[in-house]
Amino acid sequence: MSNITIRLPSTRRTQNQYETGTSYLVTPGDVITEDTDYMRGHGTYCTGDADDKLYSSVAGVVERINKLICVRALKSRYTGEVGDIVVGRVKEVQQKRWKIETNSRLDSILQLSSVNLPGGELRRRSATDELNMRSYLNEGDLISAEVPQVNVDGILSLHTRSLRYGKLSQGCLVIVSPSLIKRRKNHIHNLSCGASIILANNGYIWIYTTQHSSQTEEGDGGFIISNESIPIEDREIICRLRNCIKCLAKRSVVLYDTSILYAYEASMSYKVKQLLDDEVCDEIVNKTIYLLQQANVGNSEY
Amino acid sequence: MLKSKVIMVKTRSGKILKIVREHYLRDDIDNGLFGGKLDQHPELQNDLVSSEHFLIPDTNVVLHQMDVLEHSCIMNVIMLQTVLHEVKHRSSPVYKRIKSLCANPDKKFFVFTNEHCIDTYSARVKGESTNDMNDRLIRIAAKYYDKCLKDRNQTAVLVTNDRANCALAKKEGLDALTIEQYVKNIVGYPELLDKLAKADEAIEVDKSISYPEHLKLSQVQAGVKSGKFFQGKLGISRENYLEGKIITHGEDGKEILIQGRLNLNRAVHEDVVAVEMLPEDQWSNPSGVILDVTVQPGAEITDSEKKKSSGVPTGKVVGIIKRSWRPYCGILESFGSPEMTRHLFTPAEKRIPRIRIETRQAKTLIGQRIVVAIDSWPRFSKYPQGHFVKALGSVGDKDTENEVLLLEHDVAHEPFSQAVLNCLPPSDWSIPKEEFAVREDFRDLPICSVDPPGCTDIDDCLHHKDLGDGTVEVGVHIADVTHFIRPGTPIDNEAATRGTSVYLCDKRIDMVPELLSSNLCSLRDDGDRLAFSCIWIMKPNAEIVSTRFCKSVIRSKSSMTYAQAQMQIDDKTAKDPVTMGLRGLNKLAKILKHDRIEKGALSLSSPEVRFHVDSETHDPIDLQNKELRDTNSMVEEFMLLANCSVAKKIQQEFPECAVLRRHPEPPQSNFDVFLNAAKSRGLELNAATSRDLAVSLDRTEEPKEGIHSYISTLLRILATRCMMQAVYFCSGLESDFRHYGLAAPIYTHFTSPIRRYSDIMVHRLLAASIGADKTFSELLNKTEIQNVCKNLNFRHRMAQYAQRASVGLHTQLFFRSKVVHESGYVIFVRKNAVQVLIPKYGLEGTVFMDRDFEGNTTVNADDLKYIEDKCEITVRGVKLCVFDEVTVQISHDATNVQHQRINLKLVHPKINGISI
Amino acid sequence: FELISDEGYRFDGRKPSELRRVRCNMGVFTQADGSAYIEQGNTKVLAAIYGPHEASNNMRSRVCLDKCFINCEFSQAMFSSAERKKRSRGDRKGKDMSAHIKQTFEAAVRTQLYPRSQIDIYLQVLHSDGSLYCACVNAATLALIDAGIAMKDYVCACSASLTKETSLIDINHVEELAGCAEFSAAIMPKLDQIIYSELNGRIHQDELGQLVDAVTNGCKDIFAVIDRFEVITDNTEIAVSPRSLHS
Repeated sequence: MSNITIRLPSTRRTQNQYETGTSYLVTPGDVITEDTDYMRGHGTYCTGDADDKLYSSVAGVVERINKLICVRALKSRYTGEVGDIVVGRVKEVQQKRWKIETNSRLDSILQLSSVNLPGGELRRRSATDELNMRSYLNEGDLISAEVPQVNVDGILSLHTRSLRYGKLSQGCLVIVSPSLIKRRKNHIHNLSCGASIILANNGYIWIYTTQHSSQTEEGDGGFIISNESIPIEDREIICRLRNCIKCLAKRSVVLYDTSILYAYEASMSYKVKQLLDDEVCDEIVNKTIYLLQQANVGNSEY
Repeated sequence: MLKSKVIMVKTRSGKILKIVREHYLRDDIDNGLFGGKLDQHPELQNDLVSSEHFLIPDTNVVLHQMDVLEHSCIMNVIMLQTVLHEVKHRSSPVYKRIKSLCANPDKKFFVFTNEHCIDTYSARVKGESTNDMNDRLIRIAAKYYDKCLKDRNQTAVLVTNDRANCALAKKEGLDALTIEQYVKNIVGYPELLDKLAKADEAIEVDKSISYPEHLKLSQVQAGVKSGKFFQGKLGISRENYLEGKIITHGEDGKEILIQGRLNLNRAVHEDVVAVEMLPEDQWSNPSGVILDVTVQPGAEITDSEKKKSSGVPTGKVVGIIKRSWRPYCGILESFGSPEMTRHLFTPAEKRIPRIRIETRQAKTLIGQRIVVAIDSWPRFSKYPQGHFVKALGSVGDKDTENEVLLLEHDVAHEPFSQAVLNCLPPSDWSIPKEEFAVREDFRDLPICSVDPPGCTDIDDCLHHKDLGDGTVEVGVHIADVTHFIRPGTPIDNEAATRGTSVYLCDKRIDMVPELLSSNLCSLRDDGDRLAFSCIWIMKPNAEIVSTRFCKSVIRSKSSMTYAQAQMQIDDKTAKDPVTMGLRGLNKLAKILKHDRIEKGALSLSSPEVRFHVDSETHDPIDLQNKELRDTNSMVEEFMLLANCSVAKKIQQEFPECAVLRRHPEPPQSNFDVFLNAAKSRGLELNAATSRDLAVSLDRTEEPKEGIHSYISTLLRILATRCMMQAVYFCSGLESDFRHYGLAAPIYTHFTSPIRRYSDIMVHRLLAASIGADKTFSELLNKTEIQNVCKNLNFRHRMAQYAQRASVGLHTQLFFRSKVVHESGYVIFVRKNAVQVLIPKYGLEGTVFMDRDFEGNTTVNADDLKYIEDKCEITVRGVKLCVFDEVTVQISHDATNVQHQRINLKLVHPKINGISI
Repeated sequence: FELISDEGYRFDGRKPSELRRVRCNMGVFTQADGSAYIEQGNTKVLAAIYGPHEASNNMRSRVCLDKCFINCEFSQAMFSSAERKKRSRGDRKGKDMSAHIKQTFEAAVRTQLYPRSQIDIYLQVLHSDGSLYCACVNAATLALIDAGIAMKDYVCACSASLTKETSLIDINHVEELAGCAEFSAAIMPKLDQIIYSELNGRIHQDELGQLVDAVTNGCKDIFAVIDRFEVITDNTEIAVSPRSLHS
């Protein structure tokens, strides 16, 4: 029998220190403004009656950009935007296209024409390629891709026509709420701790070992999975990162390379499995927030 | 507000169910001490309690000592929720009484919701029984009150019947007393002691008797379930108080006979009992013998009378499922010295055994009518034991006797409460203007009323108008009582409980207060009245062209008696519209009646008499039979027509919840004795349908040789007794609507809302169906209606019994100082007696054929020959047959104060040892 | 059988217009898009929301081009009532309940925002002690909010019964058994609109107004409770949100 740890009840952590006097928080049905000048964005609606009030339709934070008012839900499905990087899982192989599950409202589409096939970028797609689609990407495979286009009904088109994207082989997938991923120029990082990470905009985070050898894989189009065994140290790093991300996500800390690295550093005094404890998690998150604030202060001094 | 949960695990019928219920505890529950009912100081002094105190009775005290609690000196009592709940489970009559006590502001009974109060709640301790827990909860509450009262220098006294509980309470430092201790030491009210119910131990052990032990309720239930025992309500025979029967539950409700004191095993009339069948060789027959308590106290059936063969199913009581004891009226028996405290009490109801009570007031109570309640019936006591409740007045006094018969028939007769009177309009009320706007104005029509003389509650009026186009307009106008009695008001509730007005010979017990019954609603000829009208357009052959209903305002032109109306009709010179109307109505009524009889309506008969009452003493001085004139039947026909029309209308409009009246067809077996009796005199009657019966009864009107002419009336009287009771019911819950006696497919009561609550409900339904009034929820709820109907049926039956008893009482008063010879007719022949009816006085009585009036057997069984088939009895060679005319001497017998009665002694034919 | 004592207390010690204790929790499942758990007295319900997502294969026929469809499945645990009872998923009561809840939320969710999608509402009753429909609706509302699905307003439901001209709200199992008519309604408390109402049993027309008022007040009380709860959980999330805006 394994040991079971039972934690004693502790008082719930209240975060009075963060309470903001000006609450931008709304819940469905709240009136955001009665002013008719504003434009209504996501998460808001008008009744269409004479009163012209603007109501919130989700629970979340009000964001105001000039005349546009949006309510960003604290948690929701991913709504794609052009240029986003996503990680997704192949759900279905269809004629000339794959259906990819990307945590968005409707499944995304990866056209056969939007992938790099073995044999170079400029290769013509033939009928045999259509028949061989399964051998490139099969149901259940994970891929990373970019969003070049959002269709009218909200379906995302994807493409992997870059070496940065394509099938993912060995690594670890962490799913968090899409709203926790910070929008940055670059979403793929080789972290200094020795692993790489794809912080996809749809909340799927892929952690994998950094490929040191920059071997050209143009020949196979990135569809070959290497089954080389990964050394235990690297695996430990991946696990530690994964747990750190989980901790941050649990406390709703925005995820980007710096925050993850700070958390990783803060976690070094613990064993990987200890990170799953709530107390340790709290401590790491607090430390991370402190470090981030320090960094911010530092930045603003310049 | 604090909340907490309690978990209860219950088992039911073998399966184990886990029932989790919430139980919220509150800190805002009123304890009544501050500004509430208990704010004031209690005044009662008690030698055992030094300070001012409040009483906290426990469950047993409430269950058994209600008569003490109801005494006016007991005030400032804290009723705990725990106690109320337990009482509710154990006895619903007591629960009703305690509820009404709590509602009475003068008694200052305060109900404390202790189980939901955070200060007095306690969870069940493991292994504790429900009883123990309740006792503990009561103690906790008492302690709480003690604490609250401390700074007022008052105490709460826990009163209990249970010594163990009392001891426990004392140990916990509470003021606790048994109810006996408490009552004995109350200052200034010694009479309370008599009202104390006796605990379970016998006051007096009778060595002669030892009843078998009752089985436990669980054993009884198991037995009933397995079919070993039979469950039913015990009905003691009216003629023999040691014989009873139960009708078992189930489809084939069979009858089980129970005979003898030991087999009855302490079961009292109307108790629900469990009965075990006796082996078949011990089965016996109901004794045809009339056993008279007053003549032969304690007489039992001798073995010789039990026929071993051909007995009916016979059983013995093994357990009591539910007691239905109530307070009984009666008198103390004057045996023994009045100095003694133990006495026997004889109830007026013959089916109830005598009751042993303890009282110190015997001297004053002898010769009075008193009320006594049964407390218990221990195994070694021949009689049940009880306690004195109250005295009504001296025996033979007319008011006392009236009171007795009202109490015995559960007729509410106390004056109307203030709440009810508050619902009345002012006495100078007149019709407001807005009523004219919504009502039709019939004040110009020749409306009149025809009623018995002296009638003050006139609820129906009639009119008749020739429309000139070969049709006539006929209207029945009924007092609009529902205008004054609005649903849900105290006056409405009171009327619903009373159900009907009760007419005693010298007194009327009103259903609604007099202002309404004899003035505002009574359609007298002294002004405008509100009415509910039913208007027909008829052809001269009484065929109805159209029917309509409306609320109206009328002005009666004349209030007549039947005799006056008859005179007007007969007076050829009278040509005024009212008289013309009466003639028209009379003509139509005859056609209607004829049609009705064609369809098979029965015209039955019952001997009815009226007493002429002395205006000073209110004693009856003369009596006369009711006379039937054309006008009686004229009014009756139109009332029947109105009732039928209304029944049709409300059934159409409210098929689910119409209040109707039905008269079930009697089963053929009901007619057996009756047909047999007729046959013995050579009269062939047919009772297959109501029409057959009516026709064959009519045939007996023709004179026949050897039979006196009164036989037809006698047969009609007897036929009435074969009928079933007509009942009110809710149309949504029954499928058979027929009225057997009237041969009507559908019938209701609409025409007497002043004296019947059923009519009030019908008025409301009808008003709703014509849009004159709004409906409300109780009116459309069929179970609710059925419940009201049940009560109405009960009240009507009771009213009838009370009326009969009242006539009996007056007959006795009438004969108090008279001895009269009068002719009568034999209507039943029994094994040792004949039943004689004296039409002149509407009097019926038993003439014994085997004994004289001291109860001594004077005729041996050998000299007595009884032939059941032929309905005849031969005593010493003299044959008496059913329907024979006899002459009897009527006298009043006051030798037994309890059952004063009319004695009938045979004068003719002469029989040695029997007749005088 | 008295549902309410002369002193004005119900069986369990509540006054006629008092709710049972309400406790709730959001985000109880990690897998689902939104989830919630609610306790109304002893009635305990779990709700899980999946979606909006691509219509599953067996529901293709229900796909609408201009809005999403709602798929509701209600099930009751075997141990949820006093007597252990095997309940199949598709029994009549369950189907009715599913249909009613679906109807309710079709009126409140802004379905036109999610064309061609599907929203699943799964409800699981762990303990049933009366007012099941209401607890389910309240749980589903919280779960939908947790899932970030756009709705016009909260949906709060409450039941009421009528005895002796007094209306009792949030009735429990014992009171349901008493056989009085039971009225349930779901309202949108901020917009003050009734979007669903159901009456079991018969009442008189005149009493309806009183019942509707009682239920409306009950719903608003429920709203006050779950809204307050909502704000508490939101605070924990808002803690970091402002920083994300300007860092």
